[in-house]
Amino acid sequence: MISPKRSVAALLIGVVAAAALLAMTPSAAQADTYKAISGAGSSWSSNAIAQWAVNVQQYGLKVNYASTGSSDGRNQFKNGTVDYAVSEIPYGIKDGGVVDSAPTVGYAYMPIVAGGTAFMYNLTSGGKQVTNLRLSGDVVTKIFTGKITSWNDKAIKKDNPGLDLPKRNIVPVVRSDGSGSTAQFSTWMSQEHPSDWNSYCAAAGRPTPCGVTSNYPTIPGKGFIAQPNSQGVSGYVAQKANVGTITYVEYSYALKTGFPVAKILNKSGYYVEPTASNVAVGLLGAKINQDKGSAQYLTQILTGVYNNPDHRAYPLSSYSYMIIPTEISSSRSFTKDKGKSLSTFANYFLCEGQQQAEVLGYSPLPINLVKAGLSQVKRIPGTVSKAIDVKNCNNPTFSKDGTNTLANNAPQPSACDKIGVTQCTVGTGGAKAVSTPTSANASSGGSGTTKSTAGKAGSGSSSAGSSSSGSSSGSGSSGAGSDGTASGSGSGSASSAGAAGQGTLVSCDADSGVCSNVVALPVESDAGTGFGSKQWLMIGSVAALLALVFVPAAIGIAVAKKRGRR
Amino acid sequence: MSTDSPRLLSVVRDPADLRFRLAAHAGGVTVLAIMSLVGLFLAFRAAQAIGVAKFSFFTEQAWEPDAGKFGIAAVLVGTILIALVAIFFAVPLALGTALYITEYAPIRVRGFLIGLVDLMAAIPSVVYGLWGFFFLQGQITPVSKWISQYFGWIPLFRVDGTDLKDPLASPTVYTSSTFIAGIVVALMITPIITSIMREVFLQAPLGEREGALALGSTKWGMIRSVVLPFGRGGIIGGTMLGLGRALGETIAVYMIISPIFVIQPHILQAGASSVSSLIALRYGEATPFGTSALMAAGLTLFLMTLCINFAASAVVARSRSGASS
Repeated sequence: MISPKRSVAALLIGVVAAAALLAMTPSAAQADTYKAISGAGSSWSSNAIAQWAVNVQQYGLKVNYASTGSSDGRNQFKNGTVDYAVSEIPYGIKDGGVVDSAPTVGYAYMPIVAGGTAFMYNLTSGGKQVTNLRLSGDVVTKIFTGKITSWNDKAIKKDNPGLDLPKRNIVPVVRSDGSGSTAQFSTWMSQEHPSDWNSYCAAAGRPTPCGVTSNYPTIPGKGFIAQPNSQGVSGYVAQKANVGTITYVEYSYALKTGFPVAKILNKSGYYVEPTASNVAVGLLGAKINQDKGSAQYLTQILTGVYNNPDHRAYPLSSYSYMIIPTEISSSRSFTKDKGKSLSTFANYFLCEGQQQAEVLGYSPLPINLVKAGLSQVKRIPGTVSKAIDVKNCNNPTFSKDGTNTLANNAPQPSACDKIGVTQCTVGTGGAKAVSTPTSANASSGGSGTTKSTAGKAGSGSSSAGSSSSGSSSGSGSSGAGSDGTASGSGSGSASSAGAAGQGTLVSCDADSGVCSNVVALPVESDAGTGFGSKQWLMIGSVAALLALVFVPAAIGIAVAKKRGRR
Repeated sequence: MSTDSPRLLSVVRDPADLRFRLAAHAGGVTVLAIMSLVGLFLAFRAAQAIGVAKFSFFTEQAWEPDAGKFGIAAVLVGTILIALVAIFFAVPLALGTALYITEYAPIRVRGFLIGLVDLMAAIPSVVYGLWGFFFLQGQITPVSKWISQYFGWIPLFRVDGTDLKDPLASPTVYTSSTFIAGIVVALMITPIITSIMREVFLQAPLGEREGALALGSTKWGMIRSVVLPFGRGGIIGGTMLGLGRALGETIAVYMIISPIFVIQPHILQAGASSVSSLIALRYGEATPFGTSALMAAGLTLFLMTLCINFAASAVVARSRSGASS
């Protein structure tokens, strides 16, 4: 009985939608038009790429990126389904007995950002969140190979003399998909702790020596949890109930979710956090392939990073790479138009984009890699001919004499970060505002704790002047209050150059405990990019969808009422 | 010509009729052709892997195609378990919803409720997955724990690797399980089951309904003696169709489970597997041979779903002819 009305409603909706579409005619037909490009790959570096992609939207440049894991990215690039890929490891690495073959059409590597593979954890002791855990490399390996299974293990106690850790099971959370994070972590384990790693691999049914693998081997029944993507593993650890979990993930995910990361023991006997400056120091030991003729040009050998003798070096630091096409071929969808977009995007993030690396939880590239990267950009077919003066990039690592300013000015670790000494009480990662008392200075315990309370917006901020970190963040997830929204803000940077004026704002969702990093952009926002036709279209389509559901029902009710009256 | 033979009928069809017949035939044939082409494509791509694995493809639990050790024993069992959990929750929910909408709901809110249930089907599965992962998982683990505590003696509900007396025992052993994935899938298949049941219940003949009421039956008595027997075919058919969809559910399952490649009969324990989530997980990064192995797994699922759907449509068809007498 209401079908004619229904069709009228449908017609109305159609008209509205069409009008919305018409309204969306390109209002911004400006000087430069760019073809949209799409890429896939690493979720390790996806937080940086996603932010850069948002930033270049103001130029009318649309960059799509699917963080589906490095292995997937490399494969898709090889098959020509994406325009670029992002991966932590290059092609040609033997994994599980199979060599990952390289694309047959021209390609090149270009470093995009540096960062540290962090060990983010969710642990409480006596009902309070632990935020200052320290781990040696040996212990980390034993945790992720199932040899250490309880948080009160003696080996962990040895790293943390000031902490009383509970007799809880350790739940290692690993990646279920093929991932560059896994590859970086397994490279480190296979070089630094080969016996533990190989015996674990053998138990999981992999051929030994295990070496580098992108797919973390798991043994059923060991209590390991495997999740897809960096989002998946960090999201799992960040669930309030999942106490006792630890995962390997890029530092930015810990900042994003508001959870602490373990300080890792380096070769000189200090426990360090993967902050931008510590990563920059660590990577001074990286060996970069300088053979321009080689397909592996610019790829990294990290043994020197693992063994970097500097007090400040974070041992699991590495670079992430974009794989770019250098040739147009019928087997890929890449065109010169897309080359223009890709090169513009690359020029942006190699130069200005690096300023944001630190705030996002990464570390900016040093000048030699920026220059090498910019020269790689020139190899993209259809590249924009634009001379970039690297002096204007405001990259915090640049200096007049060519040394790495960020690394030079990196603060020395505090005395309480030394091996054997009762550890510092300050929090790490995304939980800097939450300090954890240690038994040796228990008196300061109560006062040092910042905690958000239930039902009240708590805020935490660490002093921007402290030399240990460039960005600070607050966390509300330690409190029992489910509706406490925490936000913290901080500003400043360890280095005087560059990043001044940037702030981090971490806002946390009360239900999931997931926090997101809101980055203040150092760019003027174009008035047109705010609330435009696209936003109206979205609102319109939501309204249309709602109307589709409710209007027929409302009409039905009205008709029924009329009939009832008669 | 003998007079016994029936006279020949010649049908003269209108051109419009002919065109319509042609279009309808073409549509039907296209659907069938696409279905068989999908099957053929899968079989063709899977041949290489099945040729290597032979019969062990159905008995091997591990999934390491590049090492030549792969089979669907574990993932197939996992798929079926997830689907069964989903059916267990979805069918009573759908039955109740359908009965309420058709029998109890005031006529003026009926359209609204139908729209609401159909809207449930319109929610993308990744949204269900996010909800399951970030919200449901944390809330449901105490339930899992309770079940395993009191019914752990049933092997299906046993959870290894945790000590119930230990207050510090981590709830992670109850996460990422078949059970949680099944509940999320249940919500996704409820709309389809509901709408089929609703359609069938609405067809319950008015005469019999009024007869039952006239004989002094209560409303519930009428539903039991008229609506449910009449709609039995629809209930079974809807359930089977829901099962078919549950078997193929991918992204929500992919986001929730922690994949393992052994037969995992403990549905409350962390670690589960399903064919479609395996394909989603490994497809992007697979070698050509690995892709072939995934195609073989997909083919198995395709055939299984096909059988279930055929059975469902047979049941529904039979109920229509029989029950409307």
